[in-house]
Amino acid sequence: MKHIVFIALLFMSIQGIAQDNPKDLIRILNRKFNLVQDYTADVRMKFDIPNVKMKNMNGKVFFKRPNKFRVKAKGIFFMPKQNPMQNISTLLLDTASYTTVISGYEVIDSRNCAIINIIPLKSESELILGKFWIDLADPLVRKSQITTKNNGTLESYSQYGDKSSFTLPDKITIKVEVNKFKVPKMMSVDLNKKAQEKKNLSQKEIGTIEMNFSQYKINTKLQDVVFVEE
Amino acid sequence: MKEFKAILTNELIKTIRRPRSFIGFGVILFICIMLQAAFYHDGKEIISFVTQQFESVFNIQGNVLNGNLICFIILQTLIVQMPLLVALVTGDSISGETATGTVRFLLTRPASRTKIVLAKWLAGLFYTLLLLILLGIMALFVSHWVFGNGDLMSLNSEGLTVIRADDMNWRWAYAFLIAFLSLSVVASLSTMLSSIMDNSITPIVSVMAIIIIFTIIGMFDLPSFEVIKPFLFTTHMISWKNLFEDPIPTQDILLSAVILFVHIIAFLAVSIYYFNRKDITT
Repeated sequence: MKHIVFIALLFMSIQGIAQDNPKDLIRILNRKFNLVQDYTADVRMKFDIPNVKMKNMNGKVFFKRPNKFRVKAKGIFFMPKQNPMQNISTLLLDTASYTTVISGYEVIDSRNCAIINIIPLKSESELILGKFWIDLADPLVRKSQITTKNNGTLESYSQYGDKSSFTLPDKITIKVEVNKFKVPKMMSVDLNKKAQEKKNLSQKEIGTIEMNFSQYKINTKLQDVVFVEE
Repeated sequence: MKEFKAILTNELIKTIRRPRSFIGFGVILFICIMLQAAFYHDGKEIISFVTQQFESVFNIQGNVLNGNLICFIILQTLIVQMPLLVALVTGDSISGETATGTVRFLLTRPASRTKIVLAKWLAGLFYTLLLLILLGIMALFVSHWVFGNGDLMSLNSEGLTVIRADDMNWRWAYAFLIAFLSLSVVASLSTMLSSIMDNSITPIVSVMAIIIIFTIIGMFDLPSFEVIKPFLFTTHMISWKNLFEDPIPTQDILLSAVILFVHIIAFLAVSIYYFNRKDITT
């Protein structure tokens, strides 16, 4: 009985340490990231970008560690310059390049998450601040907010299914700040359309890209050639 | 009917054999080849001028510079020039003969004046159709051959619309049909002015002036212009562009098509009415 109480107390204290210690949470998360060397999956992409009308499309994603990522699809599509599917694991695995602080706790999709701020140690780093909402019970990135010097702020929400043990989401929703788009009437040759109301071009709008993944194939020893754009 | 066929054949031969008819073909060939060559060499820079507003945040993936986009750009560019090419040939179809006096010989034939006007009008439409076929071959087929197939990224005042490549063929077919309807309005207007005027140059210049004035009115968003814009045929001549929107404003396209058709009928009716009552003095 004493042993059981001791083990229970030890487990609770470890959980407590993990909840208070961002490095422990990231260490557990990184262990999961390291399980995946490469993967392929089918993807269905849905776009909701201000001033851009684009139908949903299907494609295939390829990833290979450390940071090779490609979406292959037939046609034109928009992908954010800083893609969370590519960046998050690369960023978090490089533990020597940042320091971490827990800035609070929040419930995301009925899961208790710690908000961990990642602050780069080098001033020349492209990253300004990374905020990660990491599930306390099963360390996974549920939400992230990455602010970089050149590409603004990108927010992503991840939903996990049967590949959660590999940190691979079933659905990822990416939100990006987009500058207001203005087409000169002379360029668009829309003579029978009234000009749009004057836009405040400095004001930003939010664009959303939703990616639904299926048919994951993990650690199939992907060749580099699949990442070469035709 | 036999007589009408003979006049029509004669008018078609006259239209095609005139040296100025080849100016239109030459201009279309020149503009298409020039634009295709320019886009082949500097296309990516030209496209990035439009997409740069997005490229700070997004990577635009896929073949943007493809045959569909080049065809769209050529059509958009030529929409201002093509009516002038049509007017150049159809503008003096009647007035040219009035000025030279050959209209007297034409009227000695047993066919009615109405049939003569109809034959000249149909010959004008046939020339317009030939111009559009050449444009279709050069802008659509040659561009596809050079740049390949791909999704169309069309630009309008509301932003960008990406249309999938497998959804393009029927849109092009209707776009060229509307373009034909639009240019037929110009051919009909030319025929009308040609039946009214006795000088061969004046109708051509008048059509060009009307198109230029109407186009300029369409460009400005002034409240007083907004009232008259829906009544200008030039406003409806670019309704082919609506086919490359999502969702397609079908009602707007149909309304424009009806307005263009009404213009054709009205111009033709005035031509027939005026020519039937015209006193040939030359």
